[in-house]
Amino acid sequence: MLLESVLTGAVRGGTSILFPTIGEVIAERSGVVNLGTEGCMLTGALTAYAVGIETGSAWLGVLAGVAAGGALAALHAFMVITRKSNQIATGLVITFLALGLTSLFGQDYVGQGVNALEPVSIPGLADLPFFGPVLFDHDVLTYASFAAGPLAWWVLFRTRIGMTVRAAGERPEVLEAFGTSPALVRYGAVIVGGMLAGLGGAQLSTAFTLNWSENMTVGRGFVAVALVIFAAWDPRKAMAGAYLFSGSISLQLQLQARGSGISRYLLEAVPYLAVIAVLVLLSSRRRHAGPESLSRVI
Amino acid sequence: MSGTTAMSGVSVPDRVGSVARWSAAFVGSLFVFGLFVAARGEDPIDAIRAIIESAVGDADALGETAIRATPLLLGALAVAVPARAGLFNIGGEGQLALGAVGAVGMSQMLGGSAPTFVTLILMALAGAAAGAVWAGGAAVLREVFGTNEIITTLLLNYVAAIIVTWLVFEPWKDPASLGQAYSVELDGRSRLPVITGNRVHLGVIVALLIAVVIWLVLARTRWGFRLRVLGGNPEAGRRAGFGVVGLTTGAMVLGGALAGLGGMIEVAGVEGRLRPGILVGFGYTAFLASWLAKHDPLRAIAASLLLGGIIVGGFGLKIATGLSGGAVDVLTALILLGVLGFAQFREAI
Amino acid sequence: MFKKSVRMLALLAALALAAAGCGADGSAGADTDDEAATSSDGDVVVGFIYVGPKDDFGYNQAAYEGSQAVDALDGVTVIQAENVPETSEAEVVMSNMIDEGAKLIFATSYGHLEFARNLAEQHPDVVFVHQGGLEGEDLPNLGTYFGTVYEPVYTAGIAAGAASETGKIGFIYAFPIPQTLANINAFTLGAQSVNPEIETITISTGSWCDPGLQAEATNSLLDQDVDVITQHQDCTKTIIEATEAAGAYSVGYHADASSLAPNGWLTGSEWDWDATYVDITETVMAGDFATSEYNGDFRVGLQTGENPFVQSAYGSSVSDETIALIDAAREGFVSGGSPFAGPVMNQAGEAVYAEGEQPTYDEVETMDFFVQGVVGNIG
Repeated sequence: MLLESVLTGAVRGGTSILFPTIGEVIAERSGVVNLGTEGCMLTGALTAYAVGIETGSAWLGVLAGVAAGGALAALHAFMVITRKSNQIATGLVITFLALGLTSLFGQDYVGQGVNALEPVSIPGLADLPFFGPVLFDHDVLTYASFAAGPLAWWVLFRTRIGMTVRAAGERPEVLEAFGTSPALVRYGAVIVGGMLAGLGGAQLSTAFTLNWSENMTVGRGFVAVALVIFAAWDPRKAMAGAYLFSGSISLQLQLQARGSGISRYLLEAVPYLAVIAVLVLLSSRRRHAGPESLSRVI
Repeated sequence: MSGTTAMSGVSVPDRVGSVARWSAAFVGSLFVFGLFVAARGEDPIDAIRAIIESAVGDADALGETAIRATPLLLGALAVAVPARAGLFNIGGEGQLALGAVGAVGMSQMLGGSAPTFVTLILMALAGAAAGAVWAGGAAVLREVFGTNEIITTLLLNYVAAIIVTWLVFEPWKDPASLGQAYSVELDGRSRLPVITGNRVHLGVIVALLIAVVIWLVLARTRWGFRLRVLGGNPEAGRRAGFGVVGLTTGAMVLGGALAGLGGMIEVAGVEGRLRPGILVGFGYTAFLASWLAKHDPLRAIAASLLLGGIIVGGFGLKIATGLSGGAVDVLTALILLGVLGFAQFREAI
Repeated sequence: MFKKSVRMLALLAALALAAAGCGADGSAGADTDDEAATSSDGDVVVGFIYVGPKDDFGYNQAAYEGSQAVDALDGVTVIQAENVPETSEAEVVMSNMIDEGAKLIFATSYGHLEFARNLAEQHPDVVFVHQGGLEGEDLPNLGTYFGTVYEPVYTAGIAAGAASETGKIGFIYAFPIPQTLANINAFTLGAQSVNPEIETITISTGSWCDPGLQAEATNSLLDQDVDVITQHQDCTKTIIEATEAAGAYSVGYHADASSLAPNGWLTGSEWDWDATYVDITETVMAGDFATSEYNGDFRVGLQTGENPFVQSAYGSSVSDETIALIDAAREGFVSGGSPFAGPVMNQAGEAVYAEGEQPTYDEVETMDFFVQGVVGNIG
């Protein structure tokens, strides 16, 4: 059934985009855009893969990928918060840096075998018709991603920490008046965002594709930044965005496999066109959903 | 932008400090780059020497750097003009590629029927128009629906690349290509003349002239002034009764046209036909060049030469050391980090 | 603002001078290595350019390994550049190599040909050989070489056809270039030779290496009950491992990946360029290029010699019966047959090669159709 296949593919391929999207929601909620999300993802993908190979432990690899994504995001934070450089330009520079560094240091790991994060079928549930393959036959990080959106929403909107992060994005001067440094909060949010991007990259290399190759994220991190607007800065809606993109990819491949006869070039463009189209449809409503400080940046 | 005007009036000690900061940024980025090179087991001095020899070592090398800098310069202007109005154009990549498409399409339509000069002018116009449409689309989406132009211009890059691939594999594929996927070679009247050496073409001069013209437009015309006001403070622009929508859309369209012209120059001056990988990566580098130049068209000349030189230097680096092709991206990024974070005046967050 | 530009240019110049200074310092002592790389001590410099990373575990790595065999020759120094795109950048990089003294350049990617041709016209003293293309123009210092990739792909197709229980086999590819179309057709025809009902379902990823798309493409094929998957991609690991995880059979490409698929590995095709590269280099060093078979479109296949594209080792599930069929097919090619011996029908059921007809090696390399039984469209 096409729908089941496409949704299964959307979930399977969407995890690596979902984590960075949620991460970028958190960063932007604090008032910082990070186009370096693409770079953080790429760095996370290589680091997880390399550390996984060197230590023989996929989980150590994932941890290292998360840390590497966070470290690169810390550089972004330092540049834009402490050195006050432009966020958009710096983000692209961060991605450039990551492209170069992963190309330079990834040479030794291309095609090398890695201990994979294997899919874990949930007993009982995995055998359900439709829902089994779509939801319950994935790797552990994918299950974790189901909870990540609601959890991030709960932290952002129901906890003191979350309130502080949002205050940094909406009313930094108020935060300042209460003795909390908005800069420090932003550092935290950007680094957490980078860690989630690194996690997405780690999932891409060690669970989804079991491979490392140069520039293997091919724009998924940029798409994640686009999806933040789609999600109206709500981590719960990030899931819909990520699955829209990965689902479009899955759909175009499924259509090819079914001999649809549709131009392969048109099909290839579908995921990008879909995201643009949905953004256009939603943007009149979402224009003002973003944090106040962001409107001064973008 | 406002920083630029402020800088014109700086005192002598400030200027000395500025030179010191710029120098420190460059030396620092070279140093860190050297550390990375050393970490890969190569001699950093050899690596940097290989880059410089390949970029500026002799007349041919300088020519290559100028050739590479040309589309980068036009791509940088495509970023700079909208940036004056406070817009981000990250779509240079797609606009450059479609500029090449427009130019090749025009050349094929003319089929060698017009004289060289007319052909080239029409190709330039077609390339500029194609780039303008691509950027204008993002501008219209922004004005009508409020869709963020950073996102649309970025995503449209991927669509543009697919369009180029489709054209060279399907309708425009050269039937005599023996299987290769590219368009028919441009006829002699559609090629920019070589002005010096083997490859340095007229487009290099054209791009320089255009940079000066854009500088004049931005610095000396009412339109340029209004853009600056708008970029500095949109509310002030609105209160002053500027047609804000027209201004921002116009800036974006002009930007796209400049990138499109860059695409035309690359295809008519260097590549000679449309191919799948044409201008890949140029748009992003051009974006960085504009930021390096703080969106000043004249400084963009130097910035494009620098980043173009680093890319050309990367060819020599690859041959001289076993380092991967991405190594020079690291150098570019480090220079940008140094300049954005340390050499340039701070912007408010 | 002019001043700012001037300042930046001055900085650039200072930078160049500083580095030139480094160069001058270095050349006093440590430069001897560098000198060895040029022809001053009589070594012939041979350049190799690759379109991707030279350690991609695929096409480029195979070429790189061949270059190491050339490097091992006495009196030869090899210089390399990886990630050279198929644009005029290739011309610039090869020019740099000529400046470094290169007398022979291997342009190893399909789209590098035009730039090799341009330089061959400008540099009659340098020999250019191109991997996979057709020369097109008769230059005394330009030639192309390639294996007949579709021969081992056809025989691997036999193994696929014999292994498939569902009658559906899958092929993931990048772009519809003639080489790829020939591979897809050969694979299909090979499979159909044991099971005429076989269908080959094709998916194009629009990229030579995008593991994310590859993983999902593999899953899409598996959803269609495909039980054997092969590919024409530069990086192959993702597809093979995803296929193995699903319990389906793999046919490899570019490299022996049997270790990635201990259960499902059938066979595959892989490059062994050593002999060809070494022979080309020795021919050029002896000054015999212009009169050799390499000055033209040199195709080595089973008809004409040892194909540098060889079939990989068999997996444990391949039966002796299948191996006998494969051996017989290979014998047929050695004695002048072709995977595309007519009748060959296109998707519309029209005979492209009639009974008794078969295309030459050159004709295969401009192939532009899918044979009957292939699911998918070229456009």
